[in-house]
Amino acid sequence: MLSIRSITKRFGGFTALDEVSLEISPGECFGLLGPNGAGKTTLMSLIAGLRKPDGGMISPGKSGARASLGLVPQNVALYTDLTAGQNLEIFGKLQGLRGATLRERVGEALEAVQLSERRKDVVKTFSGGMQRRLNLAAALLHRPGLLLCDEPTVGVDPQSRNAIFDYLGQLNRDGLTIIYSTHYMEEAARLCSRIGIIDHGKILALGTLDELLALLPFEDEIIFPNTSETKLFAERMAPHGKLVSENGAQYRFFPQLKLSEFYRRAEELNLPARLFAQQRPTLEAVFLHLTGRTLRDTK
Amino acid sequence: MSIILTLLRKEYLIFKCDRAAFALTFLVPALMIYIFGMVFGINRADTGPRGIPLAVVNECDNPAARHLVDVLRAEKGFRIITTTTPDGGAERELEAGDLKPLMRDNVFRFAIVIPSNLIETSSPGVNLKLLSNPRNEIETQTVNGLLQKCIFSNVPQLLGQSMQASMKSMLGGAGKDKFNRNIAGAISESFGVNESEVLRELEAGNFGFDRMTSRDGDAADGGKTKKGNPLGELIKIENEQVVGKDVKSPAAARNVGAWAVMFLLFSVSHLAITLFEEKRAGLLQRLMSSSVRPSHVLWSKFLFGVLLGLVQLMALFCAGRLLYGLDIVSHFGQLLLMSAAAAGACAGFGMLIASIARTSAAAGFLTTLLVMLMSCLGGAWVPVSFMPEVVQKISVFTIPYWVIEGFMQVFWEGGSLARLAPTVGVLCGITLAAMSVAWWRFKRGTIFEP
Ligand SMILES: Nc1ncnc2c1ncn2[C@@H]1O[C@H](COP(=O)(O)OP(=O)(O)O)[C@@H](O)[C@H]1O
Ligand SMILES: [Mg+2]
Repeated sequence: MLSIRSITKRFGGFTALDEVSLEISPGECFGLLGPNGAGKTTLMSLIAGLRKPDGGMISPGKSGARASLGLVPQNVALYTDLTAGQNLEIFGKLQGLRGATLRERVGEALEAVQLSERRKDVVKTFSGGMQRRLNLAAALLHRPGLLLCDEPTVGVDPQSRNAIFDYLGQLNRDGLTIIYSTHYMEEAARLCSRIGIIDHGKILALGTLDELLALLPFEDEIIFPNTSETKLFAERMAPHGKLVSENGAQYRFFPQLKLSEFYRRAEELNLPARLFAQQRPTLEAVFLHLTGRTLRDTK
Repeated sequence: MSIILTLLRKEYLIFKCDRAAFALTFLVPALMIYIFGMVFGINRADTGPRGIPLAVVNECDNPAARHLVDVLRAEKGFRIITTTTPDGGAERELEAGDLKPLMRDNVFRFAIVIPSNLIETSSPGVNLKLLSNPRNEIETQTVNGLLQKCIFSNVPQLLGQSMQASMKSMLGGAGKDKFNRNIAGAISESFGVNESEVLRELEAGNFGFDRMTSRDGDAADGGKTKKGNPLGELIKIENEQVVGKDVKSPAAARNVGAWAVMFLLFSVSHLAITLFEEKRAGLLQRLMSSSVRPSHVLWSKFLFGVLLGLVQLMALFCAGRLLYGLDIVSHFGQLLLMSAAAAGACAGFGMLIASIARTSAAAGFLTTLLVMLMSCLGGAWVPVSFMPEVVQKISVFTIPYWVIEGFMQVFWEGGSLARLAPTVGVLCGITLAAMSVAWWRFKRGTIFEP
């Protein structure tokens, strides 16, 4: 349905996207996971036809099937001095909706994002989460075939986030193709059938959640507290896997040695097994494995 | 205290980073002072108006009349016009009958007629006729002042001749000669000077009035006869206002254009700022991702600017009517046309700013700078005729110049649609040029890139 081939985008001497290739099939929900500055927004704007690439191509072209896409911009792009209803009416009209259809769609969209009662309220009086929901609704009025969501949940309360997720999930089940960018791995894992991990303008890995997890050379990750007793042990284990200190309070360790061997060495230092919590690795671990950095504290 | 110092340092650091604020604080005032200085004539050795067109029709063959024309010619404040080139005709001398139509067309606003009876024979005195179109008060007062200066410096000779002429008519030619000879004889006897020299002076009309007038003349307001000045009563200047006689509220009619253009420019250039706000909020992205094109944004904002400007102007004129009795009904068609043209040019200016500025701050800065500059150069503050000739040439490239001109034609001259057409044409041209550049910039510029 959408084919992105060796797309390159530069800003002056800086390469924001470096030969990115992707295939998106109809009806899928594709997650674009990467830290801030990875190039997610740039890729979205190229797909939406807001920028021209410096190299490569996207097909179909902007005038073809891609003409009917919905974009949920990273910022809240609403006229905040106008009411929710007025905003949706303007965007609906710009999408070519008129009369009864327009009224109907605006009503539906407000209903879907649970803002029907606030229809006549001015947008700047809305909470961040409500504005985000309206931001999403504005992209769906014309029932696009492809929805681009650029970090639609930044700064959103859990309740609004759930509302957005439920709605997107339902739209996807009804056949809408979604490209969803985020730097929250939980979101990508929860919502998306396929995920691309992007960093420094490059797609580092591409696949379903299981496929991505299978890239890891270990089965489990181990979490243990960062205390004076464990310090020496952590230092000793560092060469045998990836060790990350989280907030100085605990370590995450992605072992590249057998677990039995790991626990044997812990015992040598009189560290009891109950200090160590073992868990299935997440996308975070995949990103760490691929880049050597965690998703959050990278720039 | 240290808190204040820290905050002070923060203010300084932020200020230093803000290039627009920096320019606004240091560079722009310097530039403005320079330009204002030119406009207000601060830097010139002799300040005052330059080259105000003054038509002179000399119907008198007296040498003193020719001398008066020469004196007027020598005055830098005036640019003397003595010829006209009718449509399709050859250049010829101006005649008194040409003056009023040309004045109605604003070819010149002041004309002086030296009549054949410049020097009265029935009673001592000098006759002159001044036609004026006092569309600008400062200019009119200045022209009156300049004329007085020129006439009074020339008056002794004129008056002497006038007295000679009236004596001649009273005493007859022979009697006058005898009178002169007697006087000359008495003067040469009393003061021991050459009698024939005195006689020659007397016959030329040199009664020594110049020594009298050099003192009084400077301060005199001889144009309109002034009490307490004996000379003023001898000089009869017939004043006729050619244009704007019937204007009900002259002061309002004269100034309304200048008010209007400042309002307009500031309000429509706010449009440019809204564009940057939309960009910052990501709204342009959203619009562009639907079927909106940059040109749609450009034209919608432009049209809104024109409508906003029109409504604003109408409100302004209604206020002028209520407060000062400004006549807005007599020439409503022209007023509407002119308002639309003015609003169009100003909206075009706003879009031009939007298209060349990169940020909202830059747009605000450019607006302030250009509106001030254009208002100053365009004659919203000081009549254009007071500016050095170089600056006067630049004036015609500003929007205020043409807006002020147009509203003057409507309110002051009550001009016809045909008379207004060139001005409206120029404003349309400005609009077109501004919008072309804006359109080109919108197509190629970065404002629509996310
Ligand atoms: N208009 C621009 N000019 C210059 N650099 C830009 C521009 N837009 C984005 N970038 C740079 O491109 C990189 C990718 O940006 P972006 O696509 O916004 O990242 P993300 O959305 O993943 O956070 C960043 O390093 C950013 O600084
Ligand atoms: Mg982004």
